[in-house]
Amino acid sequence: MPDEREDIIERVADELRQPAPIGASFDARVMRVVRALPRHVRRSLWSRLTTPRAVTFTPLGGGLLAASLVLVVAFAAPHAYLDFKHARAANGILARSEAPAPQRVQFVLIAPTARKVAVVGDFNGWDATHAADQAQPRGGGVWSVTAQVPVGHHRYSFVVDDSLWMADPTAPRVIDNVYGLPNSTIIVGEQNP
Amino acid sequence: MDCSSDAAIVARVLRGDVESYGELVARYRDRYARYALHMLGNREDAEEAMQDAFARAYRSLVRCDDPDRFGAWLFRILVNRCRTLGARRGRRQRTFVADEVALHAAAEDHPAGRAAWREEIDRALERLRPEQREAFLLKYVEDLGYEEMSQLTGVGVSALKMRVMRACERLRELLSEVHNA
Repeated sequence: MPDEREDIIERVADELRQPAPIGASFDARVMRVVRALPRHVRRSLWSRLTTPRAVTFTPLGGGLLAASLVLVVAFAAPHAYLDFKHARAANGILARSEAPAPQRVQFVLIAPTARKVAVVGDFNGWDATHAADQAQPRGGGVWSVTAQVPVGHHRYSFVVDDSLWMADPTAPRVIDNVYGLPNSTIIVGEQNP
Repeated sequence: MDCSSDAAIVARVLRGDVESYGELVARYRDRYARYALHMLGNREDAEEAMQDAFARAYRSLVRCDDPDRFGAWLFRILVNRCRTLGARRGRRQRTFVADEVALHAAAEDHPAGRAAWREEIDRALERLRPEQREAFLLKYVEDLGYEEMSQLTGVGVSALKMRVMRACERLRELLSEVHNA
């Protein structure tokens, strides 16, 4: 009797679908393990690119890389030399470009009940532990910090008491595409000397 | 009650707020314990697999491409941990009556026969091949579609259908007598 045979499977499934709760002590055990693991610190692309790290090459990979560099230099050098000559002929001297210096930007947050406030952004690798980016209490619940920020468009936020992520209420907001959290935006221009 | 989305919690954890990970543990602990328990056959192994899965998920959190679907990602890790743990320990330690809590609850609900029925189910599950047990649990207990199962396990849909069919045949064989008794 197929129906009865199928009914057995359904009865088995019904029984196995019953909850199988684990004791709350399980959470504490997992968290003990997790706390012992390295803490995550979200870093910007720039921070990842500029952090020193060991890179290993196999002989084959190293050889291929070296051969590629030789080819690039062989093809690009004549063009670069001609461009250089043309530029010098046109301008007399070759213009040198310099990256603008970072600007001092003051960040202010009113947080009367906070015990600690830090500013994090793409300019400091979203790292709330930067000593230079810890805000100081200025009285009346006002916290401020002056940070060195490169010229350009940046995203930032405040971290209150090491746990609360808070956008700057006085600045334009943008939603983080990856995590759905609100950040603030700022455009830092080059100041006249 | 915490209503933060998985993605919001993952974001906090990735920014260094370790304690927020506890919210994810509490959210998924019971939901996935059932699978680990049925797959491994006893509570001790199930909790070990769960703990291992949560720790591995934390370590690899930065590689969770879709934080809104953290739960599905965690479940994939758990399925793999259950496979590894099950293979390592084999049948020598699989104890079909170790889920005392479930048996006790069953006995309270239907003292006349449910506990015995549950015991027979656990005994039959224990006699399935691990890959058949896995496929059966994912299909009939976790209610996944074959495409989802395939993505989760890396096994082709046809092979999964075959495993489910074999598992059902075997369970019917093993449980028919009990059921008709």
